[in-house]
Amino acid sequence: MRTGREFKPFAHRGRRAVAAILITFAAFSALSVALSTSTTSRSKHRATVVQLAARQRTLAERYVKEVLLVRDGRKADPGQTAEILAASVNALIDGGKAPSVEGDDDETDAPRATDPTFRAQLEQERRLVRDLTATGNAVLDGGSVKAIRLRAHERIQVPDPVKRLGVIGALTSNVSLNAARTVATSTDRNVSNLVSTQVALGAAGLLVSLLLAYALIAATRRQTAHFRSLVTSSTDLVLVFGASGCRYASESVTSMLDRRQEDLLGDGFARFVHDEDRATVRAACSTGGPREILFRVMNKFGEWRHLEAHVTDLRSDRDIGGVVLNARDVTERVRLEEQLTEQAFHDSLTGLANRALFRDRVDQALTRSERSQDVLAVMLVDLDGFKGVNDSLGHDVGDQLLQEVAERFGSASRSSDTLARLGGDEFGLLLEGTSESQAIILAGRLLKSLSEPVRLAGHDLAIGASIGIVAHPGGPGKSDELIRHADVAMYAAKESGRGCEVFHQDMAREFGETLGLEHELRLGLQGDEFEVYYQPEVDPAHGEIVGVEALVRWRSPERGLVSPGDFIPAAEASGLIGPLGDYVLDQACSQTASWLSESILPERFITWVNLSGRQLSSGGICERVRGALEAAGLPAHLLGLEVTETAMVREGTAGDRARAELKQLHEDGVHIAIDDFGTGFSSLGHLRRFPVDLIKVDRSFVQGVEHDAKDAAITANLASLAHALGLKAIAEGVESASQLELVRELGCDLVQGFLFARPMPAGDMTQMLIAGEGFDTRSLSEHFGAGIMPVGGA
Amino acid sequence: MRGALHRFLLPAILGLVVLTAAGCSAGASTKPASRTVRVTEKDFRILAPKRVPSGDVTFSVRNKGPEHHELILVRERDRRLPLRGDDLTVDEDGLGSAVVATLEPESPGVHEVKAHLRPGRYWLICNMAGHYMGGMRTQMVVE
Repeated sequence: MRTGREFKPFAHRGRRAVAAILITFAAFSALSVALSTSTTSRSKHRATVVQLAARQRTLAERYVKEVLLVRDGRKADPGQTAEILAASVNALIDGGKAPSVEGDDDETDAPRATDPTFRAQLEQERRLVRDLTATGNAVLDGGSVKAIRLRAHERIQVPDPVKRLGVIGALTSNVSLNAARTVATSTDRNVSNLVSTQVALGAAGLLVSLLLAYALIAATRRQTAHFRSLVTSSTDLVLVFGASGCRYASESVTSMLDRRQEDLLGDGFARFVHDEDRATVRAACSTGGPREILFRVMNKFGEWRHLEAHVTDLRSDRDIGGVVLNARDVTERVRLEEQLTEQAFHDSLTGLANRALFRDRVDQALTRSERSQDVLAVMLVDLDGFKGVNDSLGHDVGDQLLQEVAERFGSASRSSDTLARLGGDEFGLLLEGTSESQAIILAGRLLKSLSEPVRLAGHDLAIGASIGIVAHPGGPGKSDELIRHADVAMYAAKESGRGCEVFHQDMAREFGETLGLEHELRLGLQGDEFEVYYQPEVDPAHGEIVGVEALVRWRSPERGLVSPGDFIPAAEASGLIGPLGDYVLDQACSQTASWLSESILPERFITWVNLSGRQLSSGGICERVRGALEAAGLPAHLLGLEVTETAMVREGTAGDRARAELKQLHEDGVHIAIDDFGTGFSSLGHLRRFPVDLIKVDRSFVQGVEHDAKDAAITANLASLAHALGLKAIAEGVESASQLELVRELGCDLVQGFLFARPMPAGDMTQMLIAGEGFDTRSLSEHFGAGIMPVGGA
Repeated sequence: MRGALHRFLLPAILGLVVLTAAGCSAGASTKPASRTVRVTEKDFRILAPKRVPSGDVTFSVRNKGPEHHELILVRERDRRLPLRGDDLTVDEDGLGSAVVATLEPESPGVHEVKAHLRPGRYWLICNMAGHYMGGMRTQMVVE
């Protein structure tokens, strides 16, 4: 019943109840006074009436005496007395003036008789007065009294007129007396009625007041209970602070802080507040401001809970007399905020700073450096072989690898350095107060930390890194520029395969062009601007085509046909070499498969595809090549991969892995050639360990054989070296018949160059293969001709 | 503690009300029935049965007014009742034990008076000033 009622805490229910009590008292008092007044006034009237009625008795007796006096000849005026009697009784019945009696009293105002008994008695009295007067007159006149008709129902049997007059006089007197008695009795009754009514009124008033008071108390209790339960059941913590510390703590303290209320009273609360927040809380509790404060309190289990409190200064409030804190537990919100901040500035995978935070830190470091002139260095690290792990073992393993690497880098670097993951497999390091030479030492430590393979998912993953370092000499600088320079140095390191490079201005010039190309290359890849050309490789002994080298051409809408030498470095630096290499590989495989299905391929035919150092070092080449072969349906022995010498001999785990992958492919039947052989600095002895079928003698030697004895000697040595290792040698860049003649003599097994054919589109190559034409190498070398004409017949 | 006031207040109020009500209804008991003789008085006459059996009798006296009247029951000794010196009222003192029952003067209404009646003749009179001589007397035989 009660629950259904709407609760209005501020409806002034109490005030209304008090007002109702006062109104009740006033109403009952007014009623009581009115009753008393009215009764008193009626009593006053009745006194007059009683007096008049009593006077009638005297007058009736006087009338009888006066009649007897007159009869005896004495002087009296019974007529006047009779008139007064009659007038008085009339006045008593109908209201009006009762005449005065000489020497006795004045004229008297009589109210009209209302009481029925009194009125009936007065009317009887009036009749008796008439009978009395008639009888008195008969006595005086000597007339017969028997003839008088008595109106008041007297039944008088005495014949004597005087006796008769006495009886009627006595009756009149008695009736008057009784009338007076009736009035007096009724007055008594009125007074006693008044007393009863007053008692009843008093009781009723008291009852109503008590009920109202009860309602007031119940309402107040309910209101108090409501607020108490609001305060106590609220999850908010209500604290009241006075001069002596905490005076009140609501029950929610048990759920919020797992502490008892009494533990917080007095100085108890301040003990649990965090040192850093204590001053704020003390100030709020003593001054009542600011309106909102945020502070930490330790709960029973030693955890810091973040409380947000609304501060209300009620020190001037008589009921409270203190500062009230309404505190909410906002720990979860604070944690979420921290988490969001963490997410915004940290890499969720490794927990390291992200690119945004890294840039910010670099900015700050530069600002400091501008003041202090302190040196600093920025280092960018790119993992080699990470992509392969991701592709072959999945992203989960890749992620774990990144975490492991992050950990190793973390322990290799100083805690004052900012280590960040900038994205993908790229890390950044900000080294404040670090010179170039110290940075190089740290880079060495980082590389060393990776020398131990990472064991993940049952694999020993060998991972390498390329590190670019930029040193800032102190003073003003820009973070963008610093990071870009470190990036350039990193690509240079990747290119050189040396693991670590320090940025210098020449690099900037070299890569400035490269970086401009990057964007166009990206667009070119998307816009299908690349094409694969094929250049035949020829067995000079019989002139037959034994293979083709797949070469990529870029038909740029802005730059026209761009030579590979111009865009391949940029593609490698930007990482676009990956997709570009894949494109060439896929095209070459499907083209060769198409030739195979057309049965136009000569025996022992091999399509050679170039692999860049970066493609190798990033790992996963084995999977990719196998995938391309499978997609095209091409047997592995029809494919050859040309690898640069530097890529092949690269040191470190990435190099090892690349060699292992090539070995696997070699075992599949894929041929491997070493491109540009002789330009590197590797020990020839390495060749023995490599899975190689062919070495390509660099065009710089081939083109020098005619004029330079050294080039001729090198070419001869390379060829004999190849043969000694059971490999074949191919001379590339053969442009003239004399060169052809010489390289043949120097022992090259195969030749390739403009002398036979320039790289040509697939369609032209198909035509050449369909024609089954070989090249008349004999006539060429004999005539030293400017060009070799294809000869008919297979 | 806080509830004590209201816990005792309401029962106290209710108790007060109940007691008041009980007080009002008390005393409304009825008397055991006995032989009743109806007597009517009015100005200035008394009407009563001529014969009444002896024994305990309750006189139910109806005063029809308008005057106040009394009723005095007197066992007859002589033919006439003695009068006082005023020649108006019966000398009640002179009657002594002959006065069997007296109903004091009453305003109009019904009033009762009890008497033990032995066989004989009785006067029923109103002895207020002038009433006896004015006609308020009658006789009754108790058998």
